[in-house]
Amino acid sequence: MAIIEVKNLSKTYGEGSTKVTALNSVNLVIEKGQFVTVMGPSGCGKSTLLHLIGGLDKPSDGVVLIDNKDISKMNDNDLTELRRRKMGFVFQFYNLIPVLTAEENAALPLVLDGVKMNVAGARAAEWLERNQMGDRLTHRPDQLSGGQQQRVAIARAMVSEPLIILADEPTGNLDSRASDEIATLLHQAVSEWGRTVLMVTHDPRIAAYADRIVFLKDGRVVDDVLLEGEKAENTRLLKEKVDRL
Amino acid sequence: MSVRYTLLGLLAQQSRYGYELRAAFISLAGGEEAWEVKPAQIYTTLNRMLESGLVDKSTPEDTSSDEKGVYSITASGQKELAQWLDEGSLDDPQQDAFFLKLMLSLELPDVDPTRLIQTQRSALYQELHRITTVRTKLDPHTELARILLMDKATMHLEADLRWLDIIEARLEEVKSQPVPHPEMRPRGRPTKN
Repeated sequence: MAIIEVKNLSKTYGEGSTKVTALNSVNLVIEKGQFVTVMGPSGCGKSTLLHLIGGLDKPSDGVVLIDNKDISKMNDNDLTELRRRKMGFVFQFYNLIPVLTAEENAALPLVLDGVKMNVAGARAAEWLERNQMGDRLTHRPDQLSGGQQQRVAIARAMVSEPLIILADEPTGNLDSRASDEIATLLHQAVSEWGRTVLMVTHDPRIAAYADRIVFLKDGRVVDDVLLEGEKAENTRLLKEKVDRL
Repeated sequence: MSVRYTLLGLLAQQSRYGYELRAAFISLAGGEEAWEVKPAQIYTTLNRMLESGLVDKSTPEDTSSDEKGVYSITASGQKELAQWLDEGSLDDPQQDAFFLKLMLSLELPDVDPTRLIQTQRSALYQELHRITTVRTKLDPHTELARILLMDKATMHLEADLRWLDIIEARLEEVKSQPVPHPEMRPRGRPTKN
């Protein structure tokens, strides 16, 4: 079942001679429960794609369907609600609020959605526990390492039980050991907790944790590779069939 | 050659039977899938080392079998081992099948080098994914040596992938350059002027 569907998606910035095409009629279908990485050289449009799928930016052309709903036609209120309930975001620089504790940071999406603080805090603590941060609930971001801050950010992304986790260079600011831990956690979000993860990275080692890699170049999809043994075999057979037709 | 010296090293630790040596080598090298070595190879290597006096063999009296016998290291074996341990070790990463395919693709009209790069990248990522999956299942408290070996494989694959990115980015430039050809010497008798 497709959870993200992107059809003829384009994004241009500027006008006339300064016009830049960031995405050029991209088509992409992501199944529920997939861990997908988007890769490509700088400026290939990978972050733009993530932002359009996350409703953080409006497309110039084409549609984005999240769980079969066209988000390009949504008004700001509906879009905010969708982002808060169906999507979790993980960023390169964690984007935690410095004056709040780990638990308060992780609880934030629920609090903003009107859930009482004691209920929200308990659910945040559960997710922090699952992310091996159970003993640091009252720490503030400046008392945590980069890897630990990213764990809090992932707990915050998971707390509203979203369908989709969008991660933009989640290991871009971490050393290789912390990077592996974060990649393992994102993999767990798919394999154990049944989420769909879409991650942008330029690190091949981190990309290899995913089930599938989509390569972008100059705003277009140039290659699409399945990595899981069984799934990869199915796709290869499908590709052969299509080639023969 | 590494097998030979590693066997010497294992004998420096303690004298052993041939089959014990093979088992010890395999676990040291990170398992059978990391380094496959047949019993015949072990015994051929041991026999050569016997001939050159690097090892000794004592055969128990109750058996006539050629394979039964305890091997031990000699003084000249110790010396050879120390020398090998003292040298740096460089593998040869230059013999690359993909590189030959790429060079051929520049020559052959029906082969698209871009497609070749994509296929290679896909194969490298499949392998990287496979190793990552195996590696995350290993226990760092008991299988650290294998984890380190897999880290090495991971980093080599990473380097290969980055190299592909460089090739892809500079492919047009490469295409516009002449493909290296050997200088052909004229055959036969030189023509008279």
